[in-house]
Amino acid sequence: MNTFLTLFTKEFREAWRSLKFVWMPLLFIVLGIMDPLTNYFMEDILGAVGNLPEGFMLTMPELHPIDVLSASTSQFQSIGLVVLVATIASAISRERQNGMATLLYVRPISFTALFMSKWAVASLLGIVSGVAGYAGSLYYTTLLYGSVEYGAFMKMLGTYCIWILFVTAVTLACSAMFNTAISMTLAILLLPFGLMIDSIIGSFWSLSPWKLSAYGVQFISGGTSEYYTATVALTLALMISAVLLGILFSKRNAATAKI
Amino acid sequence: MEELANINWGLIAPLIVVQAILMIVALTDLVRIHATNGPKWVWALVIIFANLVGPVIYFIVGRKSS
Repeated sequence: MNTFLTLFTKEFREAWRSLKFVWMPLLFIVLGIMDPLTNYFMEDILGAVGNLPEGFMLTMPELHPIDVLSASTSQFQSIGLVVLVATIASAISRERQNGMATLLYVRPISFTALFMSKWAVASLLGIVSGVAGYAGSLYYTTLLYGSVEYGAFMKMLGTYCIWILFVTAVTLACSAMFNTAISMTLAILLLPFGLMIDSIIGSFWSLSPWKLSAYGVQFISGGTSEYYTATVALTLALMISAVLLGILFSKRNAATAKI
Repeated sequence: MEELANINWGLIAPLIVVQAILMIVALTDLVRIHATNGPKWVWALVIIFANLVGPVIYFIVGRKSS
């Protein structure tokens, strides 16, 4: 536990000094408030730059809070997720490549504590960013489109946090297994690209971790998907196996650290 | 100019402020950092002119972590 705390402090300090805890939440806030705003001003935007012919009539759909929140979620899931994955995919592999790992590995540290400290900081970063983004989105949604039930919003936020934990676990496991380039490619293929695949042909199955955030957004409309509990269980199971894989491979690949 | 006055600035102000903070944070970091991947002045241009994307790209690939 003591080793974990020391490593956690070290990881946190590194993330703080490289300003990750500043710019990532700011990015998510911008992503979160962009959608409610552009949808609200859509008519003006089209009128100003749309180059529409004279007399063109356009009926704007009446947007409900759930539409806006799901639009924000899809922003987080595309741009936000790629940025998050790209930032943390090098966490373990870069230390091996630039030789910093040897300074750590010569000490009698447990690889469980090493991996867990990295996972904790990466998850904290993702969760802080996600919460900040949703807070911005919620602010504008209630301001412009109508109120959102507090309990339902909290459930959605909790679901999104589980998804973030899964994302960071998978990304760090990739980082433990391969070098930076391969791990980044693999993590981006698995997570943001996997989401895209799931949204294209995902109607054939209903249980997959990629559907978790979509099931979370459904809370806002008052309903719960019948697959919600099973999906959460599956995601948690996959997350734990990713963590175990990550610990195993960070131990096995310790020998590949450059000196 | 009249159109500019009609815009509800109170609504858009937070967006502009957040983007400005992001840009300022990136620029101060660029000034203080020892070396970047690629020339510094190019990064300054990227941060200033590529809105939102610029600072983020700088933080991901521009910072050289020794």
